[in-house]
Amino acid sequence: MTDTPAVHPTDPFDPAALNAAEGLDPVDPAYAQVLRVATALNLIPLAIGASVLDYMLVRHIEGPYGLITALAWLVAIIVILTFPSRRVSRWGYKIGDGQLRVARGWLFRTDTIVPFVRVQHIDVGQGPVERWFGLSHLIVHTSGTHNSTVTLPGLPADLAAAMRETIRRHIQTDFA
Amino acid sequence: MTDTAAAAAAPIIDDEANWQRLHPATLALAIVKLGPRSLNFLPAVAALGFTGNWVWIVPAILAFLLFSLVAAWLHWLRFRFLVGDDEVVIESGVLSRQHRTIPFDRIQDVSIEQGLVSRALGIAKVGFETGAGGKENDADLDAIALDAAQALRTTIRAHRSGEVAVVAASDTPDAPLMAEDRLLFAMTPRQLLLAGLFNFSLAALAVVGAGMQFFDNLLPFKFNIFNPMDWADVAEDFGLDQWLLAHRWVAGIGAALSLLLIGFASGIITMMFANFDFRLTREPRALRRTRGLTTRTDVAVPVRRVQAAILVTGWFRQRFGWHELRLQSLASDGEKERDHQVVPFAQLESIDPVLAEVAITRPDGDAAWKQSHRIIALGGLVGALGASVGGLVAVSFGQALGWFGPVLGVLIGAASLFGARFHRWTDLGEQVAIRRGFWKPKLTLLPHASVQSVDLKSDFILRPLGLATLVFGVPGGSSLASHEIPAIPIATARALRDRILTARARA
Repeated sequence: MTDTPAVHPTDPFDPAALNAAEGLDPVDPAYAQVLRVATALNLIPLAIGASVLDYMLVRHIEGPYGLITALAWLVAIIVILTFPSRRVSRWGYKIGDGQLRVARGWLFRTDTIVPFVRVQHIDVGQGPVERWFGLSHLIVHTSGTHNSTVTLPGLPADLAAAMRETIRRHIQTDFA
Repeated sequence: MTDTAAAAAAPIIDDEANWQRLHPATLALAIVKLGPRSLNFLPAVAALGFTGNWVWIVPAILAFLLFSLVAAWLHWLRFRFLVGDDEVVIESGVLSRQHRTIPFDRIQDVSIEQGLVSRALGIAKVGFETGAGGKENDADLDAIALDAAQALRTTIRAHRSGEVAVVAASDTPDAPLMAEDRLLFAMTPRQLLLAGLFNFSLAALAVVGAGMQFFDNLLPFKFNIFNPMDWADVAEDFGLDQWLLAHRWVAGIGAALSLLLIGFASGIITMMFANFDFRLTREPRALRRTRGLTTRTDVAVPVRRVQAAILVTGWFRQRFGWHELRLQSLASDGEKERDHQVVPFAQLESIDPVLAEVAITRPDGDAAWKQSHRIIALGGLVGALGASVGGLVAVSFGQALGWFGPVLGVLIGAASLFGARFHRWTDLGEQVAIRRGFWKPKLTLLPHASVQSVDLKSDFILRPLGLATLVFGVPGGSSLASHEIPAIPIATARALRDRILTARARA
């Protein structure tokens, strides 16, 4: 198992601190690239939209032409460059003791535990961007109404498959 | 060539006779559903209008209607289902075909649902609850004839309960009880009347008012019961205005009395219609509830699938010890709600035997209740602040109605501060009890073994206070039960989470 560092992390924003303090394993850093592409796909059309609006509208009402365009692109670039790696560092998971633990978020942090025996079925998924970086995501279905699916992204494809097998064995032994 | 093809297709042809289609009236239902859906089409119509192509609007709408109808018809044509000896097979999809097999063993329960239109057409939507989380995993037959739906439910229930004879659902609601059936709870007319009195509600008035406003232009007379001016006009017509001014106290008391009368009468009437001849019986595997004056319903709640119990009361009826018991179950039975009202109105001593049947206990008087932190009032306080600020801004713009904002804000703030004191919880070893609410206190009894997953949530407000919120994933949702313990010390939350997760699956 991982060694929990003896020193208590002093900086709550330190990427490694949050997970280590709670005894969680980090997800693959390459997941930041996946998030980055996804964020870019969301934000660049918005920035283009803002530019078009700027071109069509602000120029005609003789407002400060170019201001909205510049701001939109600046915000988009900053968000695309800096946010994904921060978000990735807030994801953490721990598999063992007959349960899967998934934690995510910092401003609103949610730490979910699903015992293996309560898992209904398991998906391992891979989107086109994830495939590019050799990553997969694991989706665990429970019969609860809240948390009917628990998703853990950013796993190397072989690790995700191994985790699926581990959980699958537990489901089988429970019903045997 | 033709022989081999016929031979290959033989098993399918053999089944062909058993395949069934949905009821043709489903197409009529599709037309009704077009109403809301045509809103999607509004932007396109607007675009045509703005660009000056007025001529094209009518053809475009017609084309849209035609297209939708053809699509609905194709769906109907390509949807078929087969009820086998121990499974239901559903084939659907126009372009991509979907073939789904549901073994009877996996069907937790069959729900039958009828909307207003489907009632008029005599058809019903049949839902198969398979217990898989998420709505998209459940299969529907939308819609088949009502009697076919009931026959299907009887078949599946008969299969599930082995060879035990199953009383047909709606045909013989008053069938004699079987030897092993025990009557657990029944509503006497006196109790029904009492329950109706506590069910005081002015909702009927609001419905009438809303209806009048909605049909304002259609009514032959111009009158809005919520407009004092209209009342004044009527009074004037009958020469009553002078009398009213002279006897305004009498008039006020009269108005209050008639409001009370309307409230009590509507409470009693709704209670009578819903719970007339209420009977809850214990069957070998389930609790069976029959009730209703005009529409009698017959619902079985399998005991082993009960996940949690919810005790609901009101701030006033609580003083007299009246409670309502609902059971949250994996199976829902054609009703909108996912929980089942098994005792509508009773004292706690009559509720306890019912709880005992589902192996849930109520915390006794000396249970150590722990409170949630006051911070949970924060959401309400922020809302109150918003209302006040909004109102004051409106006032500053000269809108006198804006004074409602601060008044409302103070009320909201006070209510949330006061209500926060009623969030309590206690751990009873085998189950957690969560209590909340002042106006309508609710007590959720959640066995540890029903919990499928646990979330420990904290955010930028709770974390500095060393608090966390526990959220439990429980099968079969309920609008009333909150499976959540908000704002408790983080160490306590962690310990409770570990205790709950070690519990074995509910037998």
